[in-house]
Amino acid sequence: MFIIEASDVKKTYTSGFLKRRRVEALKGITLSIEKGEIFGFLGPNGAGKSTFLNILMGLLLPDSGEISILGNRLRGSDYPMKLKKRMNMCSGNPNLPWCLTVRENLRFYAMLYDIASRTREKRISGIIEEMGLSKYADTRFDELSTGNKQKLSLAKSLINEPEILLLDEPTIGLDPDISQKIRVYIKKLHKEKGVTVILTTHYMKEAEGLCGRIAFINNGEIKAQGTTDELQQAASAANMEEMFIELANKQD
Amino acid sequence: MSWLISRISAFAYRNYIFAIRNFFTMTEIFFWPVIGIISIGIMSGFLNLEPHYMNFLLAGAVISGVLQVSQLDVAYGFLYDVWSKSTKQTYIAPVRNYDMIIGSWLIGAARGIIAFAGLAVLAGAIFKFNLPELKYLIPSLAGVYLTAMIIGIVVILSIMTFGQRIDIIAWMLSVLMMLICGIYYPVTYLPAWLMKIAESLPLTYFLEYFRAGYGFELTFSHTLAKGFALSFVYIFVLFLLIEAAYRRAKRTGMLIRLSE
Repeated sequence: MFIIEASDVKKTYTSGFLKRRRVEALKGITLSIEKGEIFGFLGPNGAGKSTFLNILMGLLLPDSGEISILGNRLRGSDYPMKLKKRMNMCSGNPNLPWCLTVRENLRFYAMLYDIASRTREKRISGIIEEMGLSKYADTRFDELSTGNKQKLSLAKSLINEPEILLLDEPTIGLDPDISQKIRVYIKKLHKEKGVTVILTTHYMKEAEGLCGRIAFINNGEIKAQGTTDELQQAASAANMEEMFIELANKQD
Repeated sequence: MSWLISRISAFAYRNYIFAIRNFFTMTEIFFWPVIGIISIGIMSGFLNLEPHYMNFLLAGAVISGVLQVSQLDVAYGFLYDVWSKSTKQTYIAPVRNYDMIIGSWLIGAARGIIAFAGLAVLAGAIFKFNLPELKYLIPSLAGVYLTAMIIGIVVILSIMTFGQRIDIIAWMLSVLMMLICGIYYPVTYLPAWLMKIAESLPLTYFLEYFRAGYGFELTFSHTLAKGFALSFVYIFVLFLLIEAAYRRAKRTGMLIRLSE
């Protein structure tokens, strides 16, 4: 059962005088993602991975193409609120309101999702504990280390217990041990709660270790998709790293 | 309904925390408006103004402080996200722009009441400033709060359209509006073309009505009705415009750029 279906999704950014500068970020993305899978977008910087995730989350409007999420066909500029309730997103290089503490930040976002006050505080405490942030619960966001900021960002994305979780480079710039902890947590979340995870990364090991299927994206196009073995075969590569270089250079 | 209350409360909660935790929000209530009151009070004394003229000017200084504090909070509802680069995080959640505007406006109104009480007491203690009767005071203040919402929405709308580079208008717009609406003088004193503009702004009517409480003659008929009618029309139109700006920001990528 497909939970997300995208067909020929295109997006071009324009800027400058009379919008003469144009960057084609997505040149027609077509894919389907099954319920309960961890689907990865692998590709170099500027490939279009984040653009696609932002479109799925309703933060960007595509120029054309069709998208259906959890049976909701996205039309025009309207993004159903009931759909937002069932999804969430965590970005690398996290930014949250600077002078709110860990607990206050989670409380703010929990209120945006209308989580009843009697369950809200319990859920916040549970997530704080699970993410190993108990010691920092009353620390302001701007006083947290990068790793803890990322953990809080992930915690924030779990506050509404989403059915679909979008992770945009969740381990970028983190120490290996924190990256590993976050990967373990994503796996646990997927296994225990059956959350569908869509992940962008340019770390091969992350894609290999987490994702059931991967789409390799470059210059706004999907160059190949399948399991890690299928991708390696398609690129005639011995490992993921070789595959990455092969597919990234194919375009050039 | 509980959805709406929860989301509005969320923004009010965030503005409240920012308000109590940042020094600049304190100076907005207690420093700049106090400086305004003291300067005008001393100047009025130096010019040997009659008490009702002194009240006229001090009323302007008090309203100026209240309006600035209240409208800033509405703008902050969006600017806190822009400055934190967390705009994207907020719009990932199922929120509407009016949740943010109303939530932050409530804290703006609360801060405005604190500013009003403080300034009125200070001006009363030092310069014998008197408040007008409640029948003048309450509708005028309600009108000032509506104007604060209008200015705040215009600020958000502008930043959503043109980006963070114009966030300075959060401090400029209310001052400009006060200049046109006759904060320290009757609008009849303005050049004819500027008076026409003043007539189209609700604040003009609320300032007039407030000063009527000190015995000054009203320039316009149906002052309050015009003020409130204009306010509601502006708010309605601005809510439509902000939705259009939001759609545009999603199309152009501005919403993402405000988070980078």
